[in-house]
Amino acid sequence: MTAATRLPPVLLIAVVLHTAVFPQLRFFGVAPDLLLLVGIATAITAGADRGAAVAFGAGLLADCFLETPFGLSALAYSLAAYAVGAVQSTILHADWWIPVLTVFMGSVLGVLLFAGAGAVLGHEEFISLRLPTVVLVVAVANALLAVPAVRIMRWAAVPGLGPRPVLR
Amino acid sequence: MALSRRGGRTRFTLLLLVLTSITVITLDFRGSGGGLIGAVRDGAADALSPVRSAAATVLSPVRDAFAGLTSYGDLEDENAELRARIAELEGRLGRDEGAERELAEALALLDARFTGDLPKVAARVVSAPISNFEQTIELDKGSDSGIAVDMPVVTGAGLVGRVASVSGTRSTVRLITDAESSVGVRLARSGEVAVAEGEGPTRLMSLSFVDPSADVSVLELVVTSGLDNSVFPPGVPVGRVASVSAPPGQLQQDVEVRPAADLTRLSLVQVVQTEPR
Repeated sequence: MTAATRLPPVLLIAVVLHTAVFPQLRFFGVAPDLLLLVGIATAITAGADRGAAVAFGAGLLADCFLETPFGLSALAYSLAAYAVGAVQSTILHADWWIPVLTVFMGSVLGVLLFAGAGAVLGHEEFISLRLPTVVLVVAVANALLAVPAVRIMRWAAVPGLGPRPVLR
Repeated sequence: MALSRRGGRTRFTLLLLVLTSITVITLDFRGSGGGLIGAVRDGAADALSPVRSAAATVLSPVRDAFAGLTSYGDLEDENAELRARIAELEGRLGRDEGAERELAEALALLDARFTGDLPKVAARVVSAPISNFEQTIELDKGSDSGIAVDMPVVTGAGLVGRVASVSGTRSTVRLITDAESSVGVRLARSGEVAVAEGEGPTRLMSLSFVDPSADVSVLELVVTSGLDNSVFPPGVPVGRVASVSAPPGQLQQDVEVRPAADLTRLSLVQVVQTEPR
């Protein structure tokens, strides 16, 4: 099996969870951003290039269910995933906690990019006193899900690497 | 040299993705939510609708358990409040045996007052807000059931929001607490006309354009005004005034409104089939 056959079902499951289940799992009124996590996890395992492409696709899928401008999530997710992939490529020795920290930072960046680009496109209300809460909760929740997400996206996006987990 | 070529390729990929995003955003703006982008959105919503409904049903025990864990403190407070309320109502019933019948009649009158003869479609809420930046919910019915954009959505308690987008089998409702929501309202007792604006999920709604000399009181009922070709019919309860302050020197009063409907626990709603504007 190749990435082309593994990625679509993984993305489909992620979209269903993101839109039907995760909206109910809220801390302080904020839900984890599973599709942003998918993009970042791909960038960690497959690099900036493929990570940005998968994040772009995941973002477009997210945009299908939002009232915000179509393409806004795709833009924010792909930029965040690219940044994560670029940083990750400079790390030679990957301890188990490094992907967790990277997901945390990538999620912070992704949410800030979404809010910032949204404000530029006329949604000034995205930049509010609630933004730090949204950033923090999304980042922590995504970081908690980082280990399984990285393993799944490694299986889906980099099949050639085999079943051995990257995390140590 | 190889690293440089690889870096150039990844930068080219990123540039391509950014330009594609900007193109798609531009297309969405030019089509005003319709056109090709609108068709893609509607298609995705309809195609995934059965799978999402099935997933939501199958995983509802997990969801409920999580909700119970995260809102345990709130539930305790609510239980105590409800017990006190039951005791109070039991006391009243003891004093007046006809109270139950009167209450039922009052509720029926309240419902008839703001829905009138307008046709309605009952729909089930199938999704809480998906985005962390928008206050929207999703209903299990769409244009196939006669729902159209801008139709008001109500419960027996009052206004919930308005339909923001529709596909064949689903519709998305922007709640009145969304930061982009504004509703023309009238204060029931003083008759003052104002605009109720959403302030996000964790804050009460605010009223704009309330004259400093207006006599506004806490717990005063706020209803839709129905003025100026409003999408909302007049007289629909929006909420009750939660706080009033009139800082000296300001051209309007600061008025906060608590929504009449409990927007955090919506399960069944009614879409009022008003004529499209």
